[in-house]
Formats: sequence, C-alpha cells, structure tokens
Amino acid sequence: MSRFEQFTNQWLPIIGKSVIETFQMVGISLLFAVLIGIPLGILIVLTRPGQALQNKFLYQLSNLIINIVRSIPFIILLFFILPFTKHLVGTTIGVKGVIVPLVIYTAPYIARLMESALLEVENGVIEAYTAMGISTPAIIWHVLLREARPSIVLGLTISTVSLIGATAMAGMVGAGGLGDLAYRFGHLRYEVDVMYATVFILIILVQSIQSIGNRLAARLKKD
Amino acid sequence: MIVLENITKEFNSKSGKVKAVKNVNIHVKKGETHGVIGYSGAGKSTLIRCVNLLEKPTEGKVFINGVETTSLPLPKLRVARNKIGMIFQGFNLLKTATVYDNIAIPLKLLGYKKEEVKIRVEKYLEIVGLTDKHKNYPSQLSGGQKQRVAIARALAQEPEVLLSDEATSALDPETTDSILDLLLKINKELGITILLITHEMNVIQKICDHVYVMENGEVVEQNTAINLFTKPAHLTTKKFLNTISQRNLSSTLISQLNVTGAVTRLTFVGESTGKPLLAEVSKKFNVQPNILTANIIELKNGIVGNIVIHLIGDKDQVQAALTFLEEHGVGTEDLEGQS
Repeated sequence: MSRFEQFTNQWLPIIGKSVIETFQMVGISLLFAVLIGIPLGILIVLTRPGQALQNKFLYQLSNLIINIVRSIPFIILLFFILPFTKHLVGTTIGVKGVIVPLVIYTAPYIARLMESALLEVENGVIEAYTAMGISTPAIIWHVLLREARPSIVLGLTISTVSLIGATAMAGMVGAGGLGDLAYRFGHLRYEVDVMYATVFILIILVQSIQSIGNRLAARLKKD
Repeated sequence: MIVLENITKEFNSKSGKVKAVKNVNIHVKKGETHGVIGYSGAGKSTLIRCVNLLEKPTEGKVFINGVETTSLPLPKLRVARNKIGMIFQGFNLLKTATVYDNIAIPLKLLGYKKEEVKIRVEKYLEIVGLTDKHKNYPSQLSGGQKQRVAIARALAQEPEVLLSDEATSALDPETTDSILDLLLKINKELGITILLITHEMNVIQKICDHVYVMENGEVVEQNTAINLFTKPAHLTTKKFLNTISQRNLSSTLISQLNVTGAVTRLTFVGESTGKPLLAEVSKKFNVQPNILTANIIELKNGIVGNIVIHLIGDKDQVQAALTFLEEHGVGTEDLEGQS
C-alpha cells in the first residue's frame, strides 16, 4: 500500500467529517448573519442624517452596537456570551453551540459591508424615484438593493471567508471543523500531513468562494 | 398649471440660516414652456425641487393643476407626483437595468398591468427614438441617449407637467440641440407643460415662452422670451444675452466712434425684420449708417434681429433718423462710451 493510500484510508473519513462540519457552521451562521446584517445595514443607511428615515438616535445607537460587537475578538466573544448561547439554544457546545457566537460575530460585519455597498448607490436615482411618487419600501427593494447588488455580493464573499476563519476557533467548544482538525491533529499531535491537507483544502475553499463571488458580482455589474 | 406663490426656502448651515430662494412667484399656463436662468448658486435648483416637494418650501404654496400640493399628506403627495415628470442633469437611471426595464420598473411599481407597461414602454421609446436600444444597459449609451431614456421614463407616466433640472448641462452642443428639439416636440405634440432651469441661454432661446432670471435666490427679471431678448433690463439678463450674441462693444471703441456720430443698437422684431429700413434712412436723412455688428436670434415664438450701427452725421439728423426707425417698430438703445 502506498503512503498516499495509507494516509487517505486513515484520514479521509475524519477530514470528510470536518469539511461537513465547517460547511454546516458557515452555511447556517451565514444565513442568520445575513438575515440580521442586511436589515441592520439598511437601517444605518436610511436613518443617516439627510436620508429617507433620518433618526439621529436610532442611527447612533445601531452604530454603537455594531462597533462594540466588532471590537471583541471572536475567541473572547465565544466565551463572553456563553450564558446567552445556553439560554438561546440550550447548549454551548458542538455545532449548535457555536452558531450563536458566529452569527453575533458576523452580522455586524455584514452590516458594515452593506452600509458601504448601499452608500455607493447614487442619491440621484433614489431622488428620481421619489419624484415619481414611488414609496420608500419599493425604493429600498427595487432601487437601493438592486443597484447595490454587485457590492453586496462582494461583501458577502468577504464575510464568508472571514467566517471560515472564525470557525477554526469553534474547536474550543467542541464544534469540530477543518480549523479544529488542523489544530488538534496537525499541531497538538504533530501529524504534519494532516495539517498540510487541511490547509490545502481551506485554500481551495477560500479560492473558490472568492472566484465565485467575483464572477457573480461582475455579472451583476453592468457598467 | 404650475403656480408657485411666494416660495421661500431656508437652509440651516453652520454659519446660520441661508435663504436659497426668496419670495419667488411663478405661473406656468397649460401647454407653455417656462425657463428659469441663473448662474450656479442662484437658487434655481432648489426652486425647481420645491415644485415636486423634493425640498419643502419654508414659506409659500405650490399649486399643480389647481391642487395645493404643499399641504398634502405623503400618500396623496405621491399620487400628485405621478403626474409630475422630472429629468435631471445626471440622468439618474438604474445602471443595473436595461433601457426597457428603466422605463418599465417605475410603471410596475406604480401598479400598472404588464400589458399596459409593455404598450407604454414601446410607445415612449419610439417617441424618443430609441426603440432599437431597448436591450442595452445605460453604460452602453451616450449621454444624449441616456437623457432620452430618462425622458421616456418621465413621459411613460403620462404626466401633465415636466420639470427639467439642467437636463442638457452635461451634454455637448449638438446633443443639447437634439434634446431641446425633443422637448419642443413633447411640448407641442403631447401638450405637456414644461418648467426648466438652466444656465444656458440657448436653451431659453430655443424652447421657452417665458423667462425668469434668477440671482441670489430672487427673480430679478421676468418677461416673455421675445421681450426679454429685445428689452433686457437687468444687468444679469444682459450678461446672459451676451453669451449667445456679441452685444457689447468696448467702451473705448464707442468713445472713439462717438466723435463722429451715435452708436446705437437697433432691435428688430416681427414685421420690422423684413423691411430695408436702414437703406431708407440713408436716403431720407443726411446720415450714413455703418453696421458694426449684426445677428439674428430665432426664438420659439419669433425672430429677433440685433444690429449695432454707427450713425455718422449731424446730431439733429441722427436724432430724426432714430425717431423714424422707432416709428417703424425698431427698438433703439444708445450705447454709452467712456465718460
């Protein structure tokens, strides 16, 4: 039996399981982070002074919350909100236990990226639609979000990549995943081959996500 | 159709309150095209944005087709805005939508049925002459074509009023002309009332019935286009007229010429443009007219001729000649030299 076959026989099931765990963590937390982050991004754009729903209090409050959460390193956040996680999903370990901190970590990041994407949309177009007598919700959906689509896709690509990075620390609460595999086997047990293999898979993963994101954004962009 | 009554708009700035528009009155009758001209910072942009209440006037009332829009609650204001089209200097199209969708999306959002949307988009694309471009994106169009799409988008809602906020200012002279021709056509064939703002006198010349000259937030002069071009009163108006025709001679030159006779601007309107009056003058009186500058300006509602002459001769003969010209409908204005 060649060395490669030996390696795959021994490690492929474990690596496979880790890949699935990483996909689960990224997929589920991205979904929730988007559901929180995009509306939050829209909120801080629309409550800005001079915008359709300008509201100084709401604007500054949401800004403050985003900044506070974004100042906390993920590893600290993970432990810091343990009671909250327990309260919300009933456990603090495993994939289920790590989703909550991952969402809380990613949502404000997405909100910031959404903010900059939405601010790129020319005010004139919004004004033109206001002048036609079209309602604000319709303008948000059909003008603001539509025109910002290429930047939104790029922003989500960046968030996904950073989310993959954050899942590496999920091993701390026993959620597994590729980062955890590289750390436990590659580092602690000094199985160098395992470390190389997981790093290689992570590189391929990040590369493909970024290329897909870039291509999608380019296709949505028409200028 | 459009009535602005004592419109004042104040802005709060760091250095206190700034009045961008002061007590402006405008009255555009149905089917007419009125133009507001002024330098940048004159307040004309704020003024036109007050018409559809993109800016809420601090004081004054706006009436569109007899309805006071300044006091309408937002839902009713939206309905009123459906009947007020607006085009902009920056076109303001959706970059991510095709020409067709740029016109169709607002109609869909306003609740028109699919078939009706299709009929309207095709109709107005044809009016602006872009039927073959319906699948293109704005980035694939020239500035003039983009403005045509914006015009079609505004027209597709079949408004009674069209507001134009410097719609030709970003375009080259030739494209400007073609857009002005289009606006003229819209005004004549669809009977849409137009209020526009501009800093270009040729826009006023080509399509306006009535002109307001704005400076520092105030209307300093207003008149029909023909009267404004023949009898400008305010200095700013005269400056604007100079941008399309050489009206002024240097005061040094006038002083030199004044030694031998008067330097006078003659303005011909309507009938008087057709008569060989200058030839008659030199026959009847002992004066020799020498033409210094001359031009003819075609306005929407008529033709205005401008001739600056040097009338060489005795003072009383010159005076008699000028009186004769005035009796035949020619406007005269003595040009002053250095004193």
